[in-house]
Formats: sequence, C-alpha cells, structure tokens
Amino acid sequence: MLDVSAVTKTYGTRTVVDKVSFSVNKGEILGFLGPNGAGKTTTMRIITGYVAPTAGTAKVAGFDVQEQPLEVKRRIGYLPEHPPLYREMLVRPYLEFVARIRGVARRQMRARVDRAIERCSLGDVAGRLIGNLSKGYQQRVGLAQAILHEPDLLILDEPTVGLDPSQIREIRALITSFAGEHTVILSTHILPEVTVTCHRALIINEGRIVAEDTLERLAARGGRTRQVAVRLARPGDGAAAALGAVPGVAAVHPQDGAVGDFMADVAEGHDPREAIASLAVARGWGLLEMRPVTRSFEDVYMEIIRGGAA
Amino acid sequence: MRNIAAIAWREARTYFTSPLAYAVTGVFVLLSGYIFWASLVRFSELCLRYGSNPYVSSQLNVNDMVVRPLFGTMGIFLLLMIPLITMRLLAEEKRAGTAELLFTCPVTSGQVVLGKFFGAAILLLFMLAVTLSYPLLIMGSGARPDLKPTLVGYLGVLLMGLAFLAIGLLISALTENQIVAAVGAFGALLMLWVINWMTESATITIAEIMNKVSMGLWEQAGLGMGGPTLGDFLTSISLIGRLDDFRKGLLDTQHVIFFASVVFMALFATQRVLESRRWR
Repeated sequence: MLDVSAVTKTYGTRTVVDKVSFSVNKGEILGFLGPNGAGKTTTMRIITGYVAPTAGTAKVAGFDVQEQPLEVKRRIGYLPEHPPLYREMLVRPYLEFVARIRGVARRQMRARVDRAIERCSLGDVAGRLIGNLSKGYQQRVGLAQAILHEPDLLILDEPTVGLDPSQIREIRALITSFAGEHTVILSTHILPEVTVTCHRALIINEGRIVAEDTLERLAARGGRTRQVAVRLARPGDGAAAALGAVPGVAAVHPQDGAVGDFMADVAEGHDPREAIASLAVARGWGLLEMRPVTRSFEDVYMEIIRGGAA
Repeated sequence: MRNIAAIAWREARTYFTSPLAYAVTGVFVLLSGYIFWASLVRFSELCLRYGSNPYVSSQLNVNDMVVRPLFGTMGIFLLLMIPLITMRLLAEEKRAGTAELLFTCPVTSGQVVLGKFFGAAILLLFMLAVTLSYPLLIMGSGARPDLKPTLVGYLGVLLMGLAFLAIGLLISALTENQIVAAVGAFGALLMLWVINWMTESATITIAEIMNKVSMGLWEQAGLGMGGPTLGDFLTSISLIGRLDDFRKGLLDTQHVIFFASVVFMALFATQRVLESRRWR
C-alpha cells in the first residue's frame, strides 16, 4: 500500500529525515513512534505530498507522490498535527467543503458527511461554529475531515492530543475499526497509544529509523528476565555470596531498603529461579518473595531512543 | 472546475459570514455615495445657474460631471480597500494550518489560486453592484445619462479592481502575516499608481538605457536610440492612468488586454510561489 524508500529531507544543513525506508501493507495499522522533533511530522508531510523530499521516493498504491500527486492525494486522508479547521465555519458546511475538494461525488456527499459525523460522534455539534468547539471536538472534526472520503490510506499525526481519557478511548476504538479495509499510519509520542491500537511499530529518532518490529517482538525484547529480586526473612551472613554462587547468577546486589533484599543479575540465557528457591529452603533463609524483573515496553523504547541495543 | 468553484464559494461565504464584507462594502458605498451626491449637487446648481444660457447648458452633461468623477474616486477607494480584502486570502491559510488541508487534497495549486481569486472577485462584484444604485437614481430623477459610457466606466473599474485583487493575492502568498500582506499590497498598488508622476522629467529613452546597460553594444548593433522614453514606459504600466479612457466611455482593447495581462501574470506568479513552498 505504502512504500517509502530512502526518503531524506534537509533544511539547509539540518537533516530532519535521513534515508527513511519502510512499507505498510493493506489493512495494517502502523505506529510511528518517536520523541518530539524526531522527524515524524516531516515524514508524514512527505507521504502526503505537502513537502517535497530532498531525495528518495514515497509511493502510495504504486503512485509516486512526486510524479502523480493527484492520484496519491485522492487515496489518502490526512489529519495534521494541528487540525486544519476554518474556525469561522460551521461543522457541517466545513465537512461538505472538504468532501467537495476531496472529490466525493455529489450523490454520495450527504451520506458520506453523515457517516463521518456519526463515526466521530459529532451529531450534537454539527450546526455549531468550529471556532467555538472545545479542543476535543475540534480534534474530532479534524478526524472526520480525514475519513469522510473513505481513503485507502489514513495518516494521523498525533490524533489523540488534547483529548480527555474517554475521548481518547473512543478515538482509539475508531482507529482500530479502520483496520482491515483501510491502512492507517499514526504518529505519537505516547507509548500506550501504540500498544493499544497498532499492529506494528516503527521507532524514529533524529530522523532515522532506529527500530521496526511487530509489537509482540518489541515487547518481547523487554520480556526476558534480566534480574531476579529476592526477599529473605532471615538471611545469614554470606547469603549474598551464596546467592552469587548459584549457577546462572552473574552478580548479586544487596538492596538498601531492607536487610533481606537482594537483586540478582541473571546471566544471558539462564533462569536461576528454581536453584535460588531450593537454596533458600536448604539454608532456612525464609524466602518471602522472589520475582523476575522484566522491563516494560517503555523501558525498551527509552533504551532504543538512547541508542542502546535492547 | 468543481474544485475552483468549491474554493471560491467557501471564500465568498467567509467574507459574508464575517463583518468584513459588510464593513468594506459599507465604507465603499458611503464614500463613493458622498462623492456622487456632492458632484450631483454641483451639477444641479450649474444647471440652475446657466440653464437659461443655451451655449453653456449644451456643455452641461451628466456623464461628464457626475458619472466620470465617480469612477475616478471609486478607483482610488478600491486601491485603498482591496489590500484589506486580499490580505487574508493565502496568509491566513498558512497561519491557521488549513494550507495543509488544501495542499494534501487532490487539488492543484493553480485551482487554489483561481478559487481564491474568484472568491474575492465575488465580493468586488457585490461592492460594485451596490453602487449601481447611483446611475439608477439619476435616471429616476429624469436626467438621462448615456447608458453605454456608464457601463464602460463600470467595466473599467471592475477590470482595475480585478488587477488589484490579483496583485494583492500575490503579496498574500508571500507571507504568513496578514498585516504584512496588507501593507505589501498597499505599497505595490500605490507604487503602480504614482509611478507615472515623474514622466515629464523622465525623457531618457528606453534605447538609451539599454545602450548604457550594454556598454555601447546597443548603439554598435545599430538598434537606434529613438523610440519611447522611460516616462512613456512608466505611464503605460501605471494602473490608475489606464482608467481614464474607460471613464470617458472609451472602450480600448489595449487597456482591456493590459488589465487581463496584469491579472494573468500576478496569478501565475502566485501559483509559482505556492509550488515553491513545497521545496522550502
């Protein structure tokens, strides 16, 4: 559906997007993840044809954005970071205007606008001035504008910014409902957004793609047990040394909080939990608690952004 | 075509759903109405005073004394008001982020430019249509102004207004700031108005300038040193001067083509400016 190959954008000497390549299949929801200023918005603007790339090509449904911009623009729906709203217009006339310039046939116009209003739950405000709506409603009008012509490819730049938690859930449900028939790219710097809605995530930092994988695999990078926290009721002297001698334990750090708390680093590819448990029983330490410490997706993300290998 | 109409219609709606259209039209009608009334009063006074004198009264003509000055002042009022109409056209679109909508829709930048231009032209037509009441008032009073010269005068004011709109639109494409767009358009239009004020002293010919620029090559090539002076050239690009013939009721294709070229060139430049935005 979408093929981006070696897209680069430089402003003067500053490279904002650096040889970014990826592709998205039909029906997929791709999360575009990265800190502010990573190049997410610029990449999206290049795909929509709003900005021309310095080098590289972006193709939507086989049409090059630079060569056949109108064919591409017919197939996309785009919600920019700041919803493109005419504040002095009413909601319904605004959507009708967008439908017209998006090339919706006159016969279908009413039905399409009605459907977009319904899907974004704008029924109550359809006759109100856009400038007087709350940020959340404005965001939904922006979303309605992007979906009303039923585009093949939907590009959403931070779609849930400024919404309250219940609105965020509604919008996410809406986005998820697009999967299958439409392809969706959504950018965000909010992690849960990606974990909830997307099939695949692409992490971008300083203009480069630093990780691209399915969510399961990205999360799995943090899922391996790296450390085991152990809490003992009666640790004798030398408990730390004894723990350190367990096969598979690389190092043991006594924790500051309580006397019996230890953190054991696990060597790659080992799981020493069983051995630790039987050792604790054999020595009569009184094992109160043992828990594997896995890292959240957030930790993985932070590590990727900082440039460490996860 | 459908895209142009949609953009133009939206633009016109915006003018008429905001106070702008009414403020601009109101002030325009007030000012030109005052000029109309003042020249009408003067005309009727002259008629009363010299009505018995057959020689003078044959010289008194409602077209020359009322309609003609009216078009002249309308031209000046338009020059002052059109920057206020055009300032928001593209500048506001960029500032509010709606440009991102327009340029990611299957619409060409040429269609955007034409849509904006026609949208503003609808407001201009509305302003001029309201002033049609003046000639109708004269007719109602029993005086008989010649209709055709009056219509030619209207055509002249309309063409000039369209040229002003196109230039204002170009300036609006160059900035994100509405005030800058308005000031820039004022500057450009005023410059094109006063540019012929020094024509008498600009007696150097275009050929002589070319000769100086080419360091004598022009003369050596035998291209001649005569021809139009710089003053002639400046007169010919002055926008207001072009209105004089229309006001007299003369329909000269030279002037029609001049205004059409100004509109075309300004719109073309606007389209190029919009296209270049993608590469910056």
